[in-house]
Amino acid sequence: MHVHEINPKKTLITLTIFVIVIIVGLLTITNPRLEYKLTPNETVELVVWDDSYVFPYELEDVIVGAVDTVILIDIRNTFDFSRGHIPGAENISAVELLSEDNIKRLKKLQKEGICVLIYGETQLQANGPWMVFRQLGFSNVKSLMGGYQYYALWKDNLADSYGDDGYLLGAADFDYSDIASNVNIDENEGDSEKTSITVNRRKKSTVAEGGC
Amino acid sequence: MNKNYFILFGLLIVLSGGLLFLPEKTNYVQQSPESLMWDIVQPTRYISTDQVAKLIIEKDPLFQLVDVRPDYDFEAFSLPNSFNIPIDSILTDEANDIFNIEDVNTIFLSDDDIKADQAWVIAKRMGYKSVYVMKGGLNCWIRTIIQPQKPSESAPITEFELYNFRKGASIYFTGAELSTNSDIKQEVSITRKKKETVAEGGC
Repeated sequence: MHVHEINPKKTLITLTIFVIVIIVGLLTITNPRLEYKLTPNETVELVVWDDSYVFPYELEDVIVGAVDTVILIDIRNTFDFSRGHIPGAENISAVELLSEDNIKRLKKLQKEGICVLIYGETQLQANGPWMVFRQLGFSNVKSLMGGYQYYALWKDNLADSYGDDGYLLGAADFDYSDIASNVNIDENEGDSEKTSITVNRRKKSTVAEGGC
Repeated sequence: MNKNYFILFGLLIVLSGGLLFLPEKTNYVQQSPESLMWDIVQPTRYISTDQVAKLIIEKDPLFQLVDVRPDYDFEAFSLPNSFNIPIDSILTDEANDIFNIEDVNTIFLSDDDIKADQAWVIAKRMGYKSVYVMKGGLNCWIRTIIQPQKPSESAPITEFELYNFRKGASIYFTGAELSTNSDIKQEVSITRKKKETVAEGGC
């Protein structure tokens, strides 16, 4: 005596329920809202071979409106923004920029081929947010070299900053081993004056970094 | 035997075939973009050069320095007891072994702080918890620790204390390598000073 002989429809019902459960399960899988488009290895490649910086002298065309494929986003706080910002920039904090609406907007801008240029007080401030957006797949997000500090320094003659390399970061300013083996600080001013000359010479190139 | 059992069996086989098309899961937990961004906007990851100098002098066992510059730069000059993990090999197993030491804080450093910060972002995404960045990098290290500038006469006393610490640290770091006439008495007075001044930072 078998169960199915009593009710032959029973297995059919079980089968239907089984299929329904699987379909419901597949439909309700929740995907995280934001997903990394770059693998960790691709991210490493990105930072080793990064070319998505915008040079300060390139800003001139953006500000006067000659180039309309760039929008500027200031990720500093509203206080700093109100005290001065690059003309035409919008003030959106980095965290806010990840909100649903802004992600939608970024996607739209990406489709239209419009570059989103983010900047902070220093290049360092925009570095992390820039990396997050690149990792999310927004290849149109770029970072401003030197940040706002460098811009503010050159804002009256931006084009002239072409010849200046103060915004270049990541390079050694000194021959470390040479300096470290030749330091001789004594209480008298003798050598410290010599060292202060080196420091003064370098000052110009470091303004953009800030922090020090 | 009901033939429905064969249908069920066949269905399960077909569905399990779907597993082949699932995206490959990684065996580590990555930090979500949202929480990564929250970490990025906070400045708590930055450690000043003065703090790093203090940690090295005190031989603090709970931190390690990771230099992300290329190996030829590292060979030319490096901070005492720092590891060299060039930024392009930051995802290797050796690097993983170094970052994964329990309770040990990792401080990234490079010429400047950009590359170290990028290494930090990647490490943070990979889920490493206690990673930090030396603010200003080696450029700032030279400016503040190796070649400290004397504060002006009108500077507050704390500036002078900081200067004294840096001067001492400079002798500690350069004198040790040179083993020239850095006399012990100076070193002692230096270590005494640094305690009060480290908190002030500067970089």
